[in-house]
Amino acid sequence: MNIRRIAAVASKEWRETVRDRMFFSLAFVLPILWMLVFGYGLILDVENIPYAALDGDQSARSRDYLYRFQQSRYFDFKGALTDEREVEPLLASGRIRAAIIIPEKFGERLNAGRMVGVQTLIDGTFPLRTDITKGYVIAINSAFNEERLVDYISRKSGISRVQAEHRARPIKLDVRYLYNEEVRSSWSMVPALVMFTLMLSSPLLTALGIVREKETGSIYNIYSSTVTKVEFLVGKLLPYALISSLNTVVLWIMATRWFNVPFRGNLLFFLAASLVFVLCGTGLGLLVSLLVRTQIAALIITIIITMVPTILFSGLIVPVSSLGPGSQFQAHLFPGMYYTNIVRGTFLKGIGPEVLWMDVLALALYAVILRFVGYGLFTKRPRS
Amino acid sequence: MASSEPPIVKVIGFAKRYKKQVAVDGVDLEIKKGEIYGLIGPDGSGKSSLMKAMAGVLTYDRGTVEVFGTLVDSERAAERVKQRLGFLPQGLGLNLYPDLSVEENIDFFAQLRLVPEQALAERKARLLAMTRLDKFRDRAMKNLSGGMKQKLGLICTLIHEPELAILDEPTTGVDPVSRRDFWAILAQLLQEKGMTALVSTAYMDEASRFHRLSFLWEGKVLVSGTPTEVQALVPGSMVTFEAAPQVDAIARLKTQYMQVEALGSALRVFTEEPIPAAAMQSITSSLGTIKPVQFRVNEPELEDVFVALLLRQGEQPSVIEMPSVVPFTPNDALAIEAKGLIRDFGPFRAVDHVSFQVKSGEIFGLLGANGAGKTTVIKMLNGIMPPSGGEGRVAGADMRTAGGAIKERIGYMSQAFSLYLDLTVVENIRLFAGIYGLDRRATDQRLKWVMSMAGLKGYESNLTGRVPMGVRQRLALGCALVHQPRVLFLDEPTSGVDPIGRRHFWNILSRLAKEEGVAMLVTTHYMSEAEHCDHLALMYAGRIVADGSPADMKLSVEKEAGHLFEVLADDPGSALLELQRAGFAGAALYGTRIHLFCRDPAGDKDRACNALESIGVKINSVTARPLSLEDVFVYRVMALERQDRAGGHEAAA
Repeated sequence: MNIRRIAAVASKEWRETVRDRMFFSLAFVLPILWMLVFGYGLILDVENIPYAALDGDQSARSRDYLYRFQQSRYFDFKGALTDEREVEPLLASGRIRAAIIIPEKFGERLNAGRMVGVQTLIDGTFPLRTDITKGYVIAINSAFNEERLVDYISRKSGISRVQAEHRARPIKLDVRYLYNEEVRSSWSMVPALVMFTLMLSSPLLTALGIVREKETGSIYNIYSSTVTKVEFLVGKLLPYALISSLNTVVLWIMATRWFNVPFRGNLLFFLAASLVFVLCGTGLGLLVSLLVRTQIAALIITIIITMVPTILFSGLIVPVSSLGPGSQFQAHLFPGMYYTNIVRGTFLKGIGPEVLWMDVLALALYAVILRFVGYGLFTKRPRS
Repeated sequence: MASSEPPIVKVIGFAKRYKKQVAVDGVDLEIKKGEIYGLIGPDGSGKSSLMKAMAGVLTYDRGTVEVFGTLVDSERAAERVKQRLGFLPQGLGLNLYPDLSVEENIDFFAQLRLVPEQALAERKARLLAMTRLDKFRDRAMKNLSGGMKQKLGLICTLIHEPELAILDEPTTGVDPVSRRDFWAILAQLLQEKGMTALVSTAYMDEASRFHRLSFLWEGKVLVSGTPTEVQALVPGSMVTFEAAPQVDAIARLKTQYMQVEALGSALRVFTEEPIPAAAMQSITSSLGTIKPVQFRVNEPELEDVFVALLLRQGEQPSVIEMPSVVPFTPNDALAIEAKGLIRDFGPFRAVDHVSFQVKSGEIFGLLGANGAGKTTVIKMLNGIMPPSGGEGRVAGADMRTAGGAIKERIGYMSQAFSLYLDLTVVENIRLFAGIYGLDRRATDQRLKWVMSMAGLKGYESNLTGRVPMGVRQRLALGCALVHQPRVLFLDEPTSGVDPIGRRHFWNILSRLAKEEGVAMLVTTHYMSEAEHCDHLALMYAGRIVADGSPADMKLSVEKEAGHLFEVLADDPGSALLELQRAGFAGAALYGTRIHLFCRDPAGDKDRACNALESIGVKINSVTARPLSLEDVFVYRVMALERQDRAGGHEAAA
């Protein structure tokens, strides 16, 4: 190992990356852009559901019922309808995602103690959103029913509404959410997005950086010189690891300052674990670069092997624990899952190495193995 | 003596395959210390594979490669010789780093080789001064011209002063002036440091630059030895003369001679008869009733020798038939006319008042270094780019207003050939016919014509990507001619094609001009090819600085600069330095021979001989040589560069 040669390779690489407009954006702009785009794109909170109502009764009761929807922050009232035929086109065009239709004589039948059907039409295109919308409708409906019950008990038994309420609802559920107190999906998504962004950008940058030399032929400068394989690989990967580490810090600032996600863990531990993860990423990029000849092939392969498993098996969207056994096994094969545990753990739970050491160890192993494989595949005297 | 020393490189029975494709098949080679060894051959002949294997950056399948006595058969063994090697891969400037400055590029290569700081500073200063790159130290490599990139590549390869430099096609794609400069620098460095060099080239006319050479053809060595030895293999003479009507003369000569070329109005024939008088005699008799005039007999060039050897091997160009659609009678109708064409890019004037005329049936050559403005002129005449000033007419249409009409009357063949490699030969022709809107009858008719004109029979259903370069080139020509244009533009049409393929191609072009009356505008980097043109114009910095027929241009340079002489001396390196000191500024080294201009043949010759004898160099021979177009090009451009520099100094002062 000769430090001067490593420094030569590393400083050349750094200067090229910083001066080439394409590589500069890839290194510094893309991760920020990614974080912003996916940060807003992947937040799955369902709020402000656009809906319309058709009040066929126009009584005090029906207005009271509909008023509850208007009050809710989950629903966004788009207007009153007069004809059932108006509903269909509004739903089809997506201007509303739910419609509540109150039949004639709603109040009258309620007062007579009979059951009334309220037709609720919900856009079922996205099952997840549909379920959540249905849940909100059911909750508002139940609250209304309960109030009717409380009224009835208080009237029949001649007790106060408060007493009646205690009888009607003897058990009150006290739920406290831990780690993500307000159950905001942004708190859970944004830390995972730090993982997603690093997982994509660091292998991509590395793979393109090495394949670029193969494509132009400047790799022959390396092949034909006395620089050793280790010196070349260390010098070449050093700037990329450094850039990705810088990006980790930038992404951390974005998560905590821009998306306002709390960071409760140990920053030093987080950064150290991130460095290990970045080494995995650059190792992956190295591997890809050794298998392909052109930058376009490197781009496509890197995106496929990083994006697909990261979206499916890293716990980004679906927790690994709720995957099937086959998928769980696959999840353990990719570095994304371990780092997801680390980011969510440090950001939200405030845990550190005492819990997460296994994940860091797995990543470290991953990084070491990738380097050995890379070293084995790299040759200064190729077959073609 | 050098011959008793062990060779620096020894290759025996070398073979290399890429999957099923055989690239090199049984090559033997020995390189001695201190020589410039040449590998000559067209694209795909196996030069690069061989050089990479010697540099230890490519495995091989059979044979042995010994470098400095070390058998290079593994990565470990290759590492042992790499410090003593310098390798410049193929592709002009491609191995350099475009975003790094000239100095940063050099520093990177030096640091990789652990050149000590002190030595690096000294060598860098010297090499930059020698290559005149010192003013551009801080310029990013991507902003250098082709010739400058090439020199920087050379500096980077030699910065650690290797004992053996392996340079893969260092002169491809560079203009003649930069090429000459390159050879001079290389020769000087080799001599000073006692280096050895292995250099490959696709330019046959560079063969005389080597001490020894091997001509590679389809993965085998066709011939090797010193240039003199190679020339001796094919004794004969090159006879140049004029004979009218040329078409009939060619037909008669072809029955007896393998190599017959039309160079404008002149004919050039290779005969195996070495005695000039006898050679002229035999040609006159084979011409019968046609009387040849203006005979000139020269020694064959190395390129002629290679072609003769290939023809002996049974490499036959396919026969071409050109069924004439409308018989052409020569007339003075103008096919292309440029009048004061100007093109500005911002403050930069790329084309500056360019005027010329091309008659139908004439081949017009536009020569110039990279960036001289050749392609911009073609683009303006094609109607692709609007001119900033001046006017041009192509095939009777005004290029500014005609637009689409021009495109129907012209054919365009680019350097890249613009063919669809995944289509068959016939499919490509049909596609171009479709693009030009030919109906079915016309398409079938033209298809037949193109197939026979370009000699494509037998390749009909081959994929274009799989046919040899020469065939691909003729197909591209056929596609450019499918709509029967009266004017044809050819932008560096022969890059990377073997010598037989190139001659064949020019043969077709000259018949197209003479028999079909097609007017052609050609740009080329191969100066030897410019001889085929009827008329030449030399562009420099956007202007036409010289024009005339090839013979006229040579004549005018001879009047200004004198005649060219070749000196064979014992110690060519010091002889060259002494001659330059004695005032022969244009003296240059060609392998072991020195070329110099003498204005007053008798007096200058004596002066040169006296200068050499004064330092004890023995002169073996001094012979007159005909000027080549490359000599003309270099002389003209160098004179203009000197003028520019002088003008620059005046402006600065």
